[in-house]
Amino acid sequence: MANFVQLVILGLLAGGVYVAVGVGFGLVWGVLNIVNLAHGGLVIVGGYITWQLFTALHLDPFLTLPVNAVALFVLGYALQRGVINRIIRAPLLFTFLLTFGLNLVIINILLLIFGSDFRSVTPTYSGQGLEFGSVVIPYVSLTSLGAALLLAAALAFILNRTRIGLAINAIAADRDAAQLVGIDLRHAYAVTFGLGAACAGVAGGLIAMIQAITPTAGEPYTLQAFVVVILGGLGRVSATVVGGLAFGLVEAFGQSIPGSGSVFANAIAFGLMVLVLVTRPQGLMGRLR
Amino acid sequence: MIATLDSNRRWRRAFLIVGGIIAAYALLAPLTSLDAAVSANVPLLADRLWFRIATYIAMFIVMATGWNIIGGITGYAAFGNVAFFGIGAYTTGMLIAKAKWPFLAALPFAPVVAALFAALVGLPLLRLRGHYFAVASLGVGVAVGELVQNIDYGGQPLFGGASGLFLPIDSIANRGLFFFYLMVAAAAISIAVTWWVLRSRFGYGLIAIRENEEAAAVLGVNTTAYKVAAFALAAALTGLAGGIFSQWNVFINQDNAFPIEYNVQMILMALLGGTGTVFGPAAGAILLQLLIQFLGGTLPISFDLPFVSETARPIVAQIILGLLLVGVVIFVPRGVIDFFGGRSRLSLSYLRRSLRETSL
Amino acid sequence: MTLRNLGLLAAAVVVAAVACGGSTSTATTTGSTIILGAPLGLTGSLTKESTLTQQGYNLWSDWINAKGGIVVNNVKHPVTIKYYDDTSSANQSAVLMQKLITEDKANFLLGPYGSAATATDAAIAEQNQIPMVEANGAAQSIFSQNYKYTFGVLSPANKYLQGVLDMAATLNPKPTTIALLSADDSFSLEVADGINTYAPTKGMTVVLYKKYKNGATNLSAEVQAAKAANADIVLNSGHLLEAIAINKAAKEQKLNAKIFAYSVGPSTPDFITALGADANYVYDGSQWTPQVKYTPAFYLSEADYVAAYKAKYPGLGDPDYHVAESTAACLALERAIENAGSLDPTKVRNALAALDVTVFFGQVKFDSRGLNIYKPMVVEQIQNGVHHTVYPASVADAKPMYPTPSWDQR
Repeated sequence: MANFVQLVILGLLAGGVYVAVGVGFGLVWGVLNIVNLAHGGLVIVGGYITWQLFTALHLDPFLTLPVNAVALFVLGYALQRGVINRIIRAPLLFTFLLTFGLNLVIINILLLIFGSDFRSVTPTYSGQGLEFGSVVIPYVSLTSLGAALLLAAALAFILNRTRIGLAINAIAADRDAAQLVGIDLRHAYAVTFGLGAACAGVAGGLIAMIQAITPTAGEPYTLQAFVVVILGGLGRVSATVVGGLAFGLVEAFGQSIPGSGSVFANAIAFGLMVLVLVTRPQGLMGRLR
Repeated sequence: MIATLDSNRRWRRAFLIVGGIIAAYALLAPLTSLDAAVSANVPLLADRLWFRIATYIAMFIVMATGWNIIGGITGYAAFGNVAFFGIGAYTTGMLIAKAKWPFLAALPFAPVVAALFAALVGLPLLRLRGHYFAVASLGVGVAVGELVQNIDYGGQPLFGGASGLFLPIDSIANRGLFFFYLMVAAAAISIAVTWWVLRSRFGYGLIAIRENEEAAAVLGVNTTAYKVAAFALAAALTGLAGGIFSQWNVFINQDNAFPIEYNVQMILMALLGGTGTVFGPAAGAILLQLLIQFLGGTLPISFDLPFVSETARPIVAQIILGLLLVGVVIFVPRGVIDFFGGRSRLSLSYLRRSLRETSL
Repeated sequence: MTLRNLGLLAAAVVVAAVACGGSTSTATTTGSTIILGAPLGLTGSLTKESTLTQQGYNLWSDWINAKGGIVVNNVKHPVTIKYYDDTSSANQSAVLMQKLITEDKANFLLGPYGSAATATDAAIAEQNQIPMVEANGAAQSIFSQNYKYTFGVLSPANKYLQGVLDMAATLNPKPTTIALLSADDSFSLEVADGINTYAPTKGMTVVLYKKYKNGATNLSAEVQAAKAANADIVLNSGHLLEAIAINKAAKEQKLNAKIFAYSVGPSTPDFITALGADANYVYDGSQWTPQVKYTPAFYLSEADYVAAYKAKYPGLGDPDYHVAESTAACLALERAIENAGSLDPTKVRNALAALDVTVFFGQVKFDSRGLNIYKPMVVEQIQNGVHHTVYPASVADAKPMYPTPSWDQR
């Protein structure tokens, strides 16, 4: 029983990172209709910023997260404004090509700057945690989950309560109508992508704490972001939160299958995703549009 | 107006002549490596390296052209076609390595098994639209590779497991040449199939589905059957390439039979060349592979980068590749096939127009 | 900087000495350049390990060229190693192998990094009948194909963690139960199989054996299972990435064991920089450590090798075993060429098959499959942030710190 409780806790805690990775990816996909293959690259940019600040200035990794968000927002805004906006009216798949190329550029610039060494952020409190009998709740994972939920809440607030957020929602609903009522599409698009990149940056900071990163370490997260966003349902932040936590749980229980459960981790996760897609295309939480 | 037409016709003729000469050279030059040619002192025009690169190019032509049938003509953005490549490779590989079949007897089963699998998963998957279909097919692609690597039967790996499958090295005479022509034949078949599809009732049905699926259904197109058939056809071609690959490469495992980057690459090639056309994906495959090989330093013509250290050079080459892809998407969104056959000409105004068309 | 200048100076002295000596000895003429080639993942996911491999190759080529080259029948042949970036793709590695053979006219081949690329390239070396000496593909499956032209200088995968069990059997109180976690790639599974068959012979029981996905970074459920198994020894058969993830999760989830030993990872300096003090007490099975004591028949001693590495690559710490085994591959090839007295690929192949020589890396000798089963593995432990060799006792520079204290008491 304790083992079961521990597994649930570990799954939910691990889900925090997936939430953080997923919300940015889902926002860009849902609003801009861009499947951002460079998302993993942006995540790792955030990871390196956290690592650099932690190593050089001994900043607490959680305190670096706002820095990541701002830096990646600027980068994302510039990318959308300068590059991606130029193909936004091209057929959908062209965003694949473009973001694939961008990802290649990002990864290899990181390789030039940071080399291929494995980097990880290990603060002094890493590994400590709350204990309830045999059940352990590690601080780092708990705070990461908190940070991810905070990130999602902040994103939801921006989207639902601010002027630019409402503009973004209007675009998601009907681009041409949004333009007619005087929304500056170029700016709004860039802000949307910037917000997505900012979320990726925060996720990267969290990831640098739980694992070692290299310039290519973001690739699996791009794949997982697909599953998380689809599991929850495209288009709402809260749905992605559910998708991320569900993904963490699925992973934890997949791993706990005796013998070799987790070698099928992707097959289980993607199988579940295909099942969700075929039976409930709007996702676990989504509404039919 | 008439002048433009004339100029376009001349342009088209020039393209056909130049293209024909290049194709004839690419197909015939390897023959100079035959023993008979060498002893007759015919100058060597293509060596084993060139066979290998050219065989890869042909392999990607098959995959990109296959993808085009479902992704370009039918408009269903399949993102997991590498599964069919791997299934083809493992079908042939298992028959050769485990059942000891000869290669040519095993090869026909690669496209058949791949197509059957595609039909099976296509039935539920093809009910999805747009990105949803893309993501679901990606899921299938990832899952199949993982299952093939890890499924055990009676404590033993069923498909060679993580060690992969080692096929006996065949004793085919001039094997480099043999696999080159075999892969070129597969490429020719895939292009011929596309040509036929685009001229058939079947193809019109697929295009109707791409343009407006509901309207196509109203017009009496059995959309489900058409979509599944297109998916299976794409899978068969991709599986054929995989089947040839397995014996050519001798060793297959999850890394080289289900490389996830091929999913992206075949789409890149089709887009680069021009989707929905007969020759576009092939042109894209040739261009992208040549570009990758050029930047990787394997082609006879190479380049030097000033101010770049020895260690940084391969990294900078990758950055250049990324930037080129970005540039192509921005400036040539209809694919390079647009320049061939007289539809458009590469000029500053073309680039400016392309930019304006797709920009926000 | 001074160290580096010293190294250059030393190299210059060596060159001068050899040049002077050359005028009196028999090796006077300089022959054609020997071209060696290797495709490496200089970009992509295997960049780290490929870079280490390249460093090992380069250390040897600097040394041999400072001497004037490989001596074949009294003729000195300088050496050039050609590298190409395979972007960490096995299929591109095959193209580059063919490029090296066909266009660069490489006389001999050095291996790529990774089992998939090595397997693919071995088939190409075989078809072209050019010897390939590799140092980075330990999976035995490659060597079970009756290939005649591929030789691996490193100990095979199944030996990786057996030394840890040998060591454990000497400790008091003797640990008896093992929780074994393994990645699902061919190399790691062979390491794990080695443990499954070897443990009973040492009076130990594998109470948990779990496979996980190669490259997995969230291994908390695996660690949880190991904790539930409550074993004396926790073994991980994987790579650096998973080793770091498991160690982090072990601390978080209070997984305590008497021995933590990981196949690959802890020997790389990154393991210590990434984990800090949490890296302490961890054991690993290593192909080589700077502390081993062999009597080299030629080339540098262990200490000189470490010094040469630090002079050429300042700031990177000690060379790890990836570097050393890559250098050893070059040494095996060099000695085989000298023994063959020829640059003929078949003669050198036969000389490789007959080779039996001890260098700083240990004994290099190949069985009929081309595998070096004669060199023992050593066991390292990280103690106070520094690598120490703890087993076998004949080469150890420290005693194992045993048992590993629980996480609360560190």
